[in-house]
Parts: sequence; C-alpha cells; structure tokens
Amino acid sequence: MCNNHLKPRPYRLLSIKKESFTECTFRLECDHTPVIGQFYEVSLPRVGEMPISISGIGSGWLDMTIRAVGHVSTAVHTLKPGDNIFLRGPYGNGFPMAEMEGKHIIIAAGGCGVSPIRPIIEHFYNHPEKITAMDLLFGFKDPSLVLFNQDIDRWKEKFNTIITVDQSCSTWEGKNVGLITEYVKQVKIPDFQNMEVIIVGPPIMMKFTAQEFIKHGVASERIIVSMERRMSCGVGKCGHCKVGDKYVCLDGPVFRYDQAQLLID
Amino acid sequence: MGKSLSHNEFNVLLGALAKDYNIYAPARFEKQGRFSDTDIIRYRQVSQVEEIVWQAKSTYSPKEVVMPVTQTLFYFTQTEYREPETDTRPCLVFLRACDINGFASLDKIYLENGGTEDIYYKRLREKVKFILIECHTSFDNCFCVSMGANTTDNYSMAVRFGEENIQLELKDEQLAGYLDNIGQGNDFKPQFIQENKIKVNVPSVAEMPDWIYNDQMWKQYDHRCIACGRCNTTCVTCSCYTALDVLYDDNCQVGERRRVWASCHIDGFTDMAGGHGFRKENGARMRFKVFHKIYDFNKRFGKHMCVGCGRCDDNCPEYISYSNCINILNDRLKEGEKASV
Amino acid sequence: MTLDLDRKKVVKNNWRVTKVRGKSALRIRIPGGHMSAKHFDLIRQIAENYGNGTVHITTRQGFELPEIPYEKIPEVNRMLYPLLQDLELAIGVQIDKPENGYPAAGTRNVAACIGNRVCPFANFDTTVLAKKIEKEIYPNDLHVKIAVTGCPNDCIKARMHDYGVIGVAEPVYDYERCIGCQACVKNCKKKVTGALAMHNGKVVRDERLCIGCGECVLQCPTSAWTRNPEKYFNLTIMGRTGKKNPRIGELFVQWATADVVVAIIKNTYKYAEKYIDKTLVKEHIGYIVDRTGYQVFRDAVLDGIELNPKARVAKHIQWGGHFYASDIFMTDQSAK
Ligand SMILES: Cc1cc2nc3c(=O)[nH]c(=O)nc-3n(C[C@H](O)[C@H](O)[C@H](O)COP(=O)(O)OP(=O)(O)OC[C@H]3O[C@@H](n4cnc5c(N)ncnc54)[C@H](O)[C@@H]3O)c2cc1C
Ligand code: SF4
Ligand code: SF4
Ligand code: SF4
Ligand code: SF4
Ligand code: SF4
Ligand code: FES
Repeated sequence: MCNNHLKPRPYRLLSIKKESFTECTFRLECDHTPVIGQFYEVSLPRVGEMPISISGIGSGWLDMTIRAVGHVSTAVHTLKPGDNIFLRGPYGNGFPMAEMEGKHIIIAAGGCGVSPIRPIIEHFYNHPEKITAMDLLFGFKDPSLVLFNQDIDRWKEKFNTIITVDQSCSTWEGKNVGLITEYVKQVKIPDFQNMEVIIVGPPIMMKFTAQEFIKHGVASERIIVSMERRMSCGVGKCGHCKVGDKYVCLDGPVFRYDQAQLLID
Repeated sequence: MGKSLSHNEFNVLLGALAKDYNIYAPARFEKQGRFSDTDIIRYRQVSQVEEIVWQAKSTYSPKEVVMPVTQTLFYFTQTEYREPETDTRPCLVFLRACDINGFASLDKIYLENGGTEDIYYKRLREKVKFILIECHTSFDNCFCVSMGANTTDNYSMAVRFGEENIQLELKDEQLAGYLDNIGQGNDFKPQFIQENKIKVNVPSVAEMPDWIYNDQMWKQYDHRCIACGRCNTTCVTCSCYTALDVLYDDNCQVGERRRVWASCHIDGFTDMAGGHGFRKENGARMRFKVFHKIYDFNKRFGKHMCVGCGRCDDNCPEYISYSNCINILNDRLKEGEKASV
Repeated sequence: MTLDLDRKKVVKNNWRVTKVRGKSALRIRIPGGHMSAKHFDLIRQIAENYGNGTVHITTRQGFELPEIPYEKIPEVNRMLYPLLQDLELAIGVQIDKPENGYPAAGTRNVAACIGNRVCPFANFDTTVLAKKIEKEIYPNDLHVKIAVTGCPNDCIKARMHDYGVIGVAEPVYDYERCIGCQACVKNCKKKVTGALAMHNGKVVRDERLCIGCGECVLQCPTSAWTRNPEKYFNLTIMGRTGKKNPRIGELFVQWATADVVVAIIKNTYKYAEKYIDKTLVKEHIGYIVDRTGYQVFRDAVLDGIELNPKARVAKHIQWGGHFYASDIFMTDQSAK
C-alpha cells in the first residue's frame, strides 16, 4: 500500500490568538519539526484546502497565522481550541537557515508576509550569536493590520526595527507612514558580501522592494524571496503553481531573487 | 509472435479478454458532437471490434482512462477522510503510438514530479496494458514524427485493423494464453508513420531568451484565443487539475473532496484569493502552454511533454494552430538571434 | 387578340396579376430554401426569353420572374416541369398535371433558414423538415405561411409566420465530464435566459428557463453537454405582418417531436375548413383564429394527436401585436 500524499491528518488546536480583525494565529499540537519557510496544505473537510506557512515553531507545537480572505481561510476562523484542524505537509524548500549564519540579515516583510519570516526572527532572537546583525523592515496597510505587536516590541530590543503603514490614523501619530520601499535607504549596509536580504509580501511589494535594494547596491543573488502562487495540491501534480520549469510548491516557495527573476509567468 | 484474425475471431479474443480485463477503446458517440448531428469519438469500454473506431483519430484522448475528468479523492464527515474504493480489474487500452508516448508524459507528473506518486493515478495506471493501434495514414494536424512520438515499443499487443482481417503482434506473455487457439500464425510487426503533412521545428535552445516572453508574436493570441480550454481538455498530455470540496445537498455534514481537470487557458487558473492572478492576457496563456509542451517540461524531465497528436489543432474553435505557433516561435528565435549578433 | 383571363385561375397557378397591363409574373417556390444550383439555368432561360431578364428574390425564398406575357403562361408552365419534378414531386407532393405548372398558391412556400447543413447553431436539418411539411400541406388554397428555423435565433423569422417551427435541443448533462469552467453558465446568462447556475462546482439547469437553444453544448470544452438525439421543436402560431394587426407568433406547443408538429399543421386545414368565413375573399388563417378564439383552435388542431410525453401546450395565449388604431402617439410635424 503506497502512501496517499493527498490525505490530510488531524492536528489538535491548542490556542487561537487574534492578531488583527482579519488575522488569527492558530497554535496546533505537532509531532514533527518543519523547516522554517515551509508550508502546509491546511484542510477543512467540507470546505477545502489552502497553503499556509508556518509562523512559529516550538517543541510540540506550530503556529500558523491566517488571514480570512476567501472560502477556507474564513471558515478556519470558526474553529475553537480543542478542535481538529487537518494538515498535510510540510511542503516546499524553506529558507536557507544555515546560509544565513554569520551574516548580516535584513528582512523586509509586508502584510501577511510577516508570518513566514516570524520564525526566522524568533530563531535569531534566541540565537543572536549566530548572526552579525539584523534589520527588520515591516509594512502594513494601516495600523489596525499590524501583526505580532507584542513580538515586534520584543524584537525591537535586539534588532533595528522600522514599521511603516500605507495609511495612517490618529493612533499612529508621529510614526512612519509610506511604502516600505521608501525606508530601504534607512537600512545601513556596511558589507554587501556578508549579508542576506529576505523579502516576503505581496508580489508587487516584493518586486519593488527588491529593486530598491538592488539600487542600493545589493546583488540580486543576495536577496531571498518567498513566492506566492495559486496552489491546489502542494505536491507538484496539479500544475497551478508552475512558473517556467519550476513548481513553487516543490522548488519554492523560497527562491533567490536572481532565480525568481528568470521565472516569467 | 504475430497472428492474423478475422473480425469474428477478434471478437472471440475480445470476449475472452473481457473475462479478465476492462477493455477501453475509442468509440463513436453518435450525435454527441459540438454541432447537431455530428459525432465525437472518445474512450469507453467496448466488447466488439465493430465498436472500435480505428479509422479516425479520437476527439478526446485516452488519458480519460487513467485521469477521469472528475475523480473523488475522499469522502468525509466532519471528522474523517475516507478514500473511495477503486475498481481493481486490470485494463487493456487500444491507442496509437503518440498516445502511448503521451502516457509517459503524464507519468512524469503523476509518478515522478517532486519525488511523490499520486496514488489515485497510480492505481489506475498500473492496471493498464497498452494495445497499439497501428496508424495506416497520418491524420489531419498530426505531427508525431516531429516530436519523435511516432514510434514505441511500449505495448503488450499491436494491432493492424483492416476491413478484411486483423493482424496482431503479441509482446506480453501474460496475454499469450488468450490467443492459443485463434487465428493464423505470422510474423506481423506494426509499422509506424514516418512522415506527417505537418512538420514542426521545435526550437532547440538551451534557454529561452528573456525577450521572447514578451515578444509581439504572442499578441495575436490575445484576441484570437477565447480561453475555452479545448486545447487542454483534448490533449493527451495535459495533466492539471483543481481540487474542491462539495457537500451533499441532502446532508450538509457529509460530502467529498474531488478533483476535476483544469486548464491553463481558462480564466481563474492562477487566481488567488483577493483576485490577484497571473497571465490575464490569452496570448500569455498561449505562450505558457506552448513553453510547457516543448520547453519547460523538457528542461525538467528531459523529454518533451507534447507528443504531436494534433488534437489541440483539431479542436480549437478559433482555428488557432499550436503546431504553427511552434514554427513561428522557432522563426522568431532565429530572427532574434540574428538581430542580436 | 384582346386578353380574356380568369384572374383567379391565374393566381391559383402561382402567377401574379401585376401592375403592368398584359404582363404576369411567375412565382417559383423553393421549399426549405435550398436547391440544386442547376435550376438557375432554367430560371435564367425563362427570365431572359419570356420575361424582362430580371429575377426578384422574394422574402420567403421564392423567385419572382416579372413581365412574362399572359399568353406565354402555358408554355412556361411546361418548361417548369424539371423544377417541379425536383422540388415538389420528388419529395412526394401530389400534383395531378405538373405540366400545367403550380396547382395552388394559397398555402405558401415553406421557408427555412440554412439549418445545420451550414450553421453551427442549428439544431437540425431545416430543409428536410420544411420539405416534409410541404409534402403534407401542398397544394392547398388556404392562406397559410410556415417557416422552419434551426434554433431560437430564428433567422428565418419563423415567429412572423402563421406557424413557426423552431428547432430546439434538449441539453443532456454528463455530471462526471463537467470541469466547472462556467463557459456554459456565463454564456447562457449573457446571451440567453440564464437557465444555468453553478452549484458545488457543477452546473444545474432550470428546465423552466431553458429554451433549448443548444448554446451550452457549443460552449462546453469537454462534451459534458450534448444534445438529446431526439429532436424537439417549439411551435409558434399566428405571427403575421399585414395591415390590421401585425404581431409576433406566440408559443403554442413546446418540446414537440417533428411528427407532432407535422400532424398539428395538417389538422389546421380541417379546422380552417370548418370555421373559415366563406363570405370573405380569402380569409387568412390568423384571422380565423382571432374569430374562433385560441381554445377552439387548439382543441381542433390537437384533435386525434397523441402528444409526445415531453410536449407542453399553452393553456392560454395572450395575443399581443400592434394595432394601427392605437397609433395615438403619432404626431404631425406641425403639431409638436
Ligand atoms: C506558499 C504559500 C504560503 C502561504 N501562507 C499564508 C499564510 O501564512 N497566511 C495566510 O493567511 N495566507 C497564506 N497564503 C495565502 C493563502 O494560501 C490564501 O489566502 C488561501 O489559499 C485562500 O484560500 P481561500 O479558500 O480562503 O480563498 P478562495 O479565494 O476561496 O480560494 C480557493 C482556493 O484557491 C487557492 N488559493 C486561493 N488563494 C491562494 C493563494 N494566495 N495562494 C495559493 N492558493 C490560493 C486555494 O486552494 C484555495 O482554497 C499562502 C500562500 C502560499 C502559496
Ligand atoms: S499539445 Fe496538442 S499536439 Fe501536443 S500532445 Fe497536446 S493535444 Fe497533442
Ligand atoms: S499546458 Fe496548461 S493545462 Fe496543460 S499541463 Fe501545462 S499547465 Fe497544465
Ligand atoms: S482551444 Fe483555441 S481558443 Fe480555446 S483555449 Fe485553446 S487556443 Fe484558445
Ligand atoms: S439550451 Fe440554451 S437556454 Fe437552455 S441551458 Fe443551454 S444555453 Fe441555456
Ligand atoms: S461548459 Fe461544460 S465543462 Fe464548462 S461548466 Fe459548462 S458543462 Fe461544465
Ligand atoms: S500546488 Fe499543485 S503543482 Fe504546485
């Protein structure tokens, strides 16, 4: 009997934390440790499946931060702690964690894109000795959509952190406003060799942010992105995520930017 | 081993085989064509040689045998996923050389890509034995020779249909018993088509240059292609699907997860929640399909996906010729090369 | 010699009494609107040798050859024989003395759109059915106009006829073959009646809204939609032009088989015989129905006919149309 890769397994939800009015972090019991940057196909029987990145890894648990945007992602928000959530995975390649060691890490993340890089930050937060420095650049649509507030407050203590919103409001007075690209120049890059830039966010944001870094002298092969494509299977069969000769679900979602640029939709 | 059989003898053979195999062949579906009073030819189970349409190319490909249009993946209740039972009877499929080679493309995706096997495909696929239908002549739009898919030795039996009698070659010892007392022995070997009317020059570039992706050659398809997807649904090598969950109307607690064929030409193929999608222009979809068939797939698996069956050209309602598109592409690349020297 | 004609006889013979003194015009009917191109030779000969060398193509698929002298009628009638042979006798129309030309003119040519010999939308071969109807009803003096059209696009304008026969297809859905592309759903919504909707990734058809046009079959990339090989027709009645009350024909029987349609049309002659106002010159079938009322007409023409199970018959008909007397909104230039 061969293995059915499409069959999801139940995982118990430990807790649910509201992050914004459309996003919650679901913590679930987990018996294995995925690579940071990998994703799971999250299943709700009767509703459907969707790919979701890991937004946190601990011993015996995983976090997933899910924004309610459609069918399955909205239905997930009706679950309660103790309920089962169905998963298959982990899928994809994940971030090159080992290659980051001993380097200056710059992370630029927009909106939902903050969740897949959260475990990278947590990892180096707990092991700051493994890198030379870390700069964090976060962009959100508006202040109500800022994710991981408490985490960010904590990260700020150790790392240079810039948060900006596209649209401000009264509670945001005196803070950064504008697109993430406008703040790229504020990041000081002493050594263009020994560094990695990680950019995760909506396709347009990733493109312009990468271009901005390149303008400031960063080589495209020093930039790492996590690509998002329509997915159905997560295992290289359904064809939806194919770009060029690559399957985002298999060969990605994490790509070096010089490689990603060769993938033309 | 070869044999010559009368049609009656062949029916006796089919009868004997039917005891142990489901036999699939291209058959005529009368008045089921797109236009009234026209027929289509597609695969179904047959029991008589008279049902087998060997004189014409089938409208839809034999992939339907291993890749049903709609396939149930799981039945579920709120708390569990249950796999459906599968028919375990082995199958014999009558098909042509291009289609046999087409299965090899499907195998790459479903049995190799990403190092995992799709068990739904595998369960159906491993039951299949091929019976080669020898092509007497090349049909309209065929270009199997250009794709190197005109020949094969991957079959259990090969058959030359004729009005008078039927010649066959047996390669698979497991089927020998069925032939013991039937027909005249001979040394029949199938012939393969050596030349098609349509010839395609597949570009032999290692890397497609950047500019070709946005070249003006694709623009014409923006308005010519209506994104109907027939070129994908009739193609023997298109393998894409979309999974979805459905609830049974009479009991909202139970339902199934199923998959259905998907097509990269049809709207929505790349759409993500929130409406963002890629390749909005139909010309870009044409380029994506063409590159998949004769470039991307080859880069990944070392074999062209397309086998030159020509069904995409047979069935495009807008008279878009995929084979001609490859030739245009080849010419453009050559011109481009010259221009860049 | 001075002409001394029986005007009614001339007209019944499918010749016209024209405005040109001494000259008639020959009318040729082409049942089903499709014929062998060879007949053009004869038509041309007659027009050039007897008429004024021109041919008028009529709206209802006939040819009219003007300015043929009345005294040439017998000669031209004899010449017409090959045409009558091929277009009428060969399909079974009974004509006692074909050498005398057309035996009747009241029941007009059965017209047809090009149908599925050419048109991708057509649900059947319109010419074949038109000829079948022609065989059953011609020759006859009753003034009836019939047209046969391949699909509800109604290119022949069957709804402007006393009987409009509209070919429809019952769409048959193969649930398993549908990939949920929505092409049929979007198209039916945009171009037809919106009879289709998506449900659970598949399509459901509202039978009440579906008009049987067959568009969904044309759209489907997997042959999930096919046509029921059994042919069905919608029969519309009593459409007309004219000086009294022009109107679009109304649906009388839906999803009828060809046999039922032909039987109903045949029965009409019995009904008309019984109810026609003989004091009038030639009462047009539509006005007879106006007088007797729809129910009397319906019961008479359905008499003795066994409807196919799928057929549906109109209970009432709300006649519409245009009444000239209601042109109260028309104003003169000066009365603005
Ligand atoms: C590698 C990867 C990681 C992701 N990580 C996260 C995450 O951590 N948190 C988060 O909130 N979202 C994440 N997304 C986006 C998330 O997958 C979509 O928001 C989600 O699929 C929407 O599903 P839906 O059923 O609610 O939407 P619908 O619009 O109803 O979509 C129907 C189906 O289309 C597919 N689909 C739709 N949108 C997407 C999409 N953006 N990407 C891939 N498939 C899609 C899914 O199969 C989905 O079930 C990720 C996407 C990818 C590709
Ligand atoms: S792309 Fe066209 S020619 Fe090639 S395998 Fe598919 S249908 Fe056949
Ligand atoms: S051509 Fe399109 S539908 Fe066919 S396999 Fe490739 S991506 Fe899928
Ligand atoms: S069959 Fe023709 S019109 Fe339809 S999607 Fe393919 S290329 Fe476009
Ligand atoms: S036959 Fe016409 S009206 Fe009926 S469902 Fe199909 S497209 Fe709609
Ligand atoms: S056109 Fe055919 S495949 Fe597409 S939704 Fe309609 S029935 Fe299904
Ligand atoms: S998600 Fe199906 S192939 Fe990548």
